[in-house]
Amino acid sequence: MTDAIIQVKDLRKTYAGGTEAVRGVSFDVRKGEFYGFLGPNGAGKTTTINMLVNLVKKTSGTIMIDGIDLDRNPQEVYKRVGFAMQEIGLDETASAREMMQLHGRLYHIPKDRIDSQIAKLLKLVELEKVADRYTSTYSGGMRRRFDLALSLLHEPKILFLDEPTQGLDPHARQLIWGHLRELNKAGMTVFLTTHFMEEAEELCERIAIMDKGQIVTCGTLQELLDEHKVKTLEEVFLKTTGSNLGEEEGNPNATDPYSRNRM
Amino acid sequence: MNTFLSDWYYLSIRNIKQIWRPLLALIPSLFIPIFFFFVNSQSLSAFSHVAGFPNVSYKQFIAPVAIFTAIFFSAGNAGIELVQDISNGYLKKLLIMPINRLAILAGKFSEVAVQAVFQGGIVIVLLFIAGVRYNTGILGILASFGILILFAMGWSCISMISALRTQNARLVQSLFVVVFPFLYVTTSQAPINLLPPAFATVARFNPVTYVIEGVRALVLGTWGDPRIWEGFLVSLVFFVVMTSITLVSFQKTLK
Repeated sequence: MTDAIIQVKDLRKTYAGGTEAVRGVSFDVRKGEFYGFLGPNGAGKTTTINMLVNLVKKTSGTIMIDGIDLDRNPQEVYKRVGFAMQEIGLDETASAREMMQLHGRLYHIPKDRIDSQIAKLLKLVELEKVADRYTSTYSGGMRRRFDLALSLLHEPKILFLDEPTQGLDPHARQLIWGHLRELNKAGMTVFLTTHFMEEAEELCERIAIMDKGQIVTCGTLQELLDEHKVKTLEEVFLKTTGSNLGEEEGNPNATDPYSRNRM
Repeated sequence: MNTFLSDWYYLSIRNIKQIWRPLLALIPSLFIPIFFFFVNSQSLSAFSHVAGFPNVSYKQFIAPVAIFTAIFFSAGNAGIELVQDISNGYLKKLLIMPINRLAILAGKFSEVAVQAVFQGGIVIVLLFIAGVRYNTGILGILASFGILILFAMGWSCISMISALRTQNARLVQSLFVVVFPFLYVTTSQAPINLLPPAFATVARFNPVTYVIEGVRALVLGTWGDPRIWEGFLVSLVFFVVMTSITLVSFQKTLK
């Protein structure tokens, strides 16, 4: 694939203790594509996305981001990617504006550009009025929206999103989806992990279903339905993973079994 | 500007802002050193008449301990804030930015240093009002800051290593009490010649003894006193060793 902006080959992660979280994953994401990783909790989605941004060291395999080998030049990769994590990760002793100013400076964005970016992004996520409040006072939806704005501050080419609407009410989820569609329309490549069927159907051009550390099937929604001779994505999911997302969601401890090892 | 310097500067500003948030948290770390100074200087003042005690008031003798304690109290916050950054995921955000990772650690040291100057400065002013004088003058005050800040930055590494290794806020917070054995098995209350032999032997192996003696020499002695340079050297070695261990912990945690 010549226009691939993310190229992953035989990616593996085995944690200390022998748990194989990711077992030989390969895929390409095209420039400007909205690509989704769907899978039950514990399938290896978060480990994979964390390896793509170098937060988790891979055991083996290659990762190329915008033509750059992540192993050789991670700093150049960091400039090109934005990441909204599942756990959000805000500095609760700072206001939204302070955090954005700090991040702008750490990304070496010129000061006047930082100010205009802050104004634009806070407007986009509808947080202008609360920009000077400590982020610790924000609701779950506001935190997610702010985190999205923060990850866009340096105008990354690729936006990585790990379960971006987890824990949000339907209204907040629609709001985030709207922002993501707009960003993708404007040319940004989006890589999303989710365990919400509806989210993958609504947003993703191509969907890879992951289970037990491997990609079990991949394609557009129509391709998946045709290939597996079923009528819904849920049926594809059940057929390929044999698991039921509802049951998985019922186990909060299954969210990320590797969280202690991920730092 | 060099990337490291620029990253260090901005991360330092972020960390320094945390010192004042909340402002009330600073009160105990200022109150305790002054409280113990007044209690000890009154209750133990007769000690200065014992044969073998230097020819100074007990108040003057224990003043360096109050300054040390005030500055030491600045060292624990770095670890507590680091464990907060780890547990809420903010450290990960920093790690995927194109910044020099050493600047994250250096930014923590800046916070310790600024808080040390702030707290130590207030305690020195209060000691001055109480009648304590530095024989070596303003330069002596600056030199004691040098010794104490290096030591405080080194000590902050203990809490940062614990934060990185355990990611447990309660454990990092509880490490605060570790200072007391180090502080009291020293010459903090009496000169080494008046300590029981076994106690004196342990005190000689305690780095805090050299730090307190270094500052004491700046308060009571002259620039020719070798304890000043010993105190500086011990603080420097302690800082370098602890920083190296922290860097290794930092790298290991990120693997």
